[in-house]
Amino acid sequence: MIYAENLRKEFTKIIKDPGLKGSFKALFKPRKEIVVAADNISFHVPKGEILGFIGPNGAGKSTVIKMLTGILTPTKGQCRINGKNPQNDRKKYVRDIGVVFGQRTQLWWDLPLVETYSVLKEIYEVSDENFKERMSFLNEVLDLKEFIRSPVRTLSLGQRMRADIAASMLHSPKVLFLDEPTIGLDVVVKDNIRRAIMKINQEEQTTVILTTHDISDIELLCDRIVMIDKGKNVYDGSLTELKKNYGQMRELTFECDNECSMSAETFKSGLHLSKDDIFIENDKNVFKIRFNSDVIPVGDMLNYTLSAARVKDIAVRDADIEEIIRRLYKEGAKPNE
Amino acid sequence: MNKIRKQYLPFVRAGVQTLIAYRMNFMGFIIGGLIYCFVMYYLWQAVFLSSGDGSFMGFSMTDMVVYIFLSNVTGQLTFSSASNDVGEEIRDGSISMRLIKPVNVDMSYLAAEIGAALMRFAVFAVPVMMGIEIYRYVVCETIMFDLVRFLLYLLSIVLAYLISFRVNLCFGFIAFYVKNLWGIGILKNSIINFLSGSLIPLAFMPEQLKIILEYMPFASMNYTPVMIYMGKYDIDEILFRLAIQAIWALITYALSKLIWFRAVKKLSVQGG
Repeated sequence: MIYAENLRKEFTKIIKDPGLKGSFKALFKPRKEIVVAADNISFHVPKGEILGFIGPNGAGKSTVIKMLTGILTPTKGQCRINGKNPQNDRKKYVRDIGVVFGQRTQLWWDLPLVETYSVLKEIYEVSDENFKERMSFLNEVLDLKEFIRSPVRTLSLGQRMRADIAASMLHSPKVLFLDEPTIGLDVVVKDNIRRAIMKINQEEQTTVILTTHDISDIELLCDRIVMIDKGKNVYDGSLTELKKNYGQMRELTFECDNECSMSAETFKSGLHLSKDDIFIENDKNVFKIRFNSDVIPVGDMLNYTLSAARVKDIAVRDADIEEIIRRLYKEGAKPNE
Repeated sequence: MNKIRKQYLPFVRAGVQTLIAYRMNFMGFIIGGLIYCFVMYYLWQAVFLSSGDGSFMGFSMTDMVVYIFLSNVTGQLTFSSASNDVGEEIRDGSISMRLIKPVNVDMSYLAAEIGAALMRFAVFAVPVMMGIEIYRYVVCETIMFDLVRFLLYLLSIVLAYLISFRVNLCFGFIAFYVKNLWGIGILKNSIINFLSGSLIPLAFMPEQLKIILEYMPFASMNYTPVMIYMGKYDIDEILFRLAIQAIWALITYALSKLIWFRAVKKLSVQGG
């Protein structure tokens, strides 16, 4: 369905030295630097899959999405989606895709929301019957009724985002690109949006590529994740596999009677751990230990800590993806073979 | 054809609705234009009074009044905000929202503008033209209105608008290379105002310069339709001028397409 092959995108950036002198220098003799926003990104997404596309800020996620949607032309490499090249037959290609950029809107800013939908209906040549059916479906999952007659500029962020998502789904696209669709939204709206994505994916086998920083988006929606960092592919596989590969991190929180400070050093030497396997945070009489439960079982860790400190209370937290991603980010680009 | 109409008609409609949403802006535009016309009127009256015999380079004061108002109407009808719109969208990257739609990017701008142009025609151009005809009737004591000339004027206006739109579009594409268009936008407007005859009739220019300017695309944007309406051209000349307009419309069309296809490959929407 979606094939990306060795995508690379370079931007030319003009380097300006600080100060007025620097500005003049940049005006007459600009010093240019090539920034590689995406490098050798390849992946394949089969029909009906929801792919989570993740990475830290500035990793190049949006750049890749923009190449896949035909907005940017790759410097090298190519992509094929639905058997079409987004750059060569843009107009035909975009007919089958829906796109949401969380930071922008495709809605008609000055017009009532409903007008945008009737414009989109004509542009995508949706029949009256399909349009009606579609609108009632979108109304149901995204709750558009209450603001569909208000001008778009008066909508709240949550309303606008729901409206944008609805706009991207109106013409029953085969592929949906969602670039941070849940950014800045509250739990209820996030839930609405997730339900809409899930429903459209199940009912119409829509292929979805989703970028997000919200871990629950990934855990709830994505079959597979591709992680990129500094423009490079660092991980491609399922979430469970990622959890397995990158260790089961656990978090234990201890509360002591009085102020107690535990250092990572004591644990490292006492339990023979490497520095990647244990992290400690101290805050007065509370301290948190995050450790890799593959290397040291939770029981052993508890025993060791209990023997070392007078503990009043204990809390155990499950392994979560956030921690894994934090670890991956920290380690930086470690290309997978 | 029907498909094109169906696809772009919503843009026309949205253009009208946007204009209505910003009524005050639209009114300001029109009232400002009228004030400008009256300022020009008193200015030229002073020129004509001091010339003595009431005529200047083949223009009577009556001609001049018609010219001032008509050239303003023509300017409003051929007005295109494409350079600002495109420039701004390229600069802030929102042009990407147009690229993800199965429509021609330039056509979508054009359609939205046509909506606004039709509004201007109905709300501004028609009343002012009626005013001009009443004025001419009062001064000359015969009806000067000529339906054939008026229709030719409309044809000429369409061509003038297309040229204006394409020139502005090309200009907007400069935003691919330059960060802020404001300064050179003012430069562009001054050049167009001067060379298109909307500031001073090209007939008042030195003969050689006038001949050159009449062949330039700028004259096609304002001077030609005004001259047609005023009956300053005979029918052969009208056809010749329309042909020149058509040629410029084609050239500017091709140029804007060429720049677009080259520049869009360079598009760099970073962040967001």
